[in-house]
Amino acid sequence: MATESVDRSWIGYRIARGRAVQPHKVLVVDDSKLMRKMYEVMLRQYPLVYAADGREALGKLAEHADIDLILLDINMPNMSGLEFLAAMRDGRESSAPRVVIISTEGREEDTARGLEAGADAYISKPFRTEDILDVIARLEGVGSAE
Amino acid sequence: MSDFEALAGRRPDLQVDLVEQLRTTVERANDLLAALESSFQPSETAIPSAGTRIRELEHRLATAESDVKELASRLVESEHQSGRLMSLYVATYQLHASLSPAEVQETIAEIAIDLLGAQRFVLLLRREDADDCEIALRQGFSGEDGSSHWAAERYAGGDPMVDATLSDGLLRLGPTEQSAALAAVPLRVQNDIVGAIVLLRLLDHKPILRPEDRDLLDLLSAHAASALFAARLFAAKDRKLRTLESLVKLARGA
Repeated sequence: MATESVDRSWIGYRIARGRAVQPHKVLVVDDSKLMRKMYEVMLRQYPLVYAADGREALGKLAEHADIDLILLDINMPNMSGLEFLAAMRDGRESSAPRVVIISTEGREEDTARGLEAGADAYISKPFRTEDILDVIARLEGVGSAE
Repeated sequence: MSDFEALAGRRPDLQVDLVEQLRTTVERANDLLAALESSFQPSETAIPSAGTRIRELEHRLATAESDVKELASRLVESEHQSGRLMSLYVATYQLHASLSPAEVQETIAEIAIDLLGAQRFVLLLRREDADDCEIALRQGFSGEDGSSHWAAERYAGGDPMVDATLSDGLLRLGPTEQSAALAAVPLRVQNDIVGAIVLLRLLDHKPILRPEDRDLLDLLSAHAASALFAARLFAAKDRKLRTLESLVKLARGA
């Protein structure tokens, strides 16, 4: 099998920041049980809240005011990730949590669409653990610099 | 005539003493000069010594930097390895987390899509007392792009790579001249080959199967079929049990 190179530029940042890279609470919005289990294992250092679709995610957001990071799938029943994003941005413009879209839709136009809708970062599935940790570190870094 | 000459003229012994003192002073001055010169020599040799020290420190710094790079590289590798193990653990956990055949099939599909990046694939299961396979799961086909092998409800053979895998139980990677399949993964229950998962196309942003994907394919080969068969067996037994319970209730009611 061939290999592909992966950007590791944020690993040093994560090492330097150590435990400082710590969102208060992370909302995982994904209808896949496999992926929810994956996030549970992968992000065990973070408090996680789960939702199976956009509609349920809006409810969780109202319930947990301390959610400051959302990992969002796009293709979900009832309410898609992009619909959820639009609804959330309408309701909480100033204090909206940061959003990372994690989707199998990985073409450039998909990424652009997600970022235009208000996401802070976009990761394509399948991903590696360090991809998520690097993005969290980067978002935390941006947040600290603001 | 100076006072000194007048005094020396009157006291010749004093003149001798003075000359002697002058000689002693000159000798002492020579000794001091020699001492100064000798003390100056070691400082000249001390300059190369400082240079050596600087070179030594530079060498140690370079070694430390090299160690840091190696440690960072090992950290990346260990993170990567732990990510691979995490995927394998979660896939195994989820495959055996349910006794519902539909949920196990859903998990197989999620592993293929979310962890392997498969866009199009089929799950083949051998039918009892028949030579062909049931296509238990078909994912990623739209109307116009289905190959003739996978269009029907059953697969009776025709793709050489898939047929070989169903025959000898070896995992094969493609595509080959005879087959467009990217991977043919045998499904085993103990020593029997009960079917195969055939990857036909990956997601656009995942051009190739990565080395760690091989571990997931092996895991699917070993666990997917047993999980699915256990779930089907449980569902069949559960159905029979409910039927029997209903019959008993009916008999008691009558």
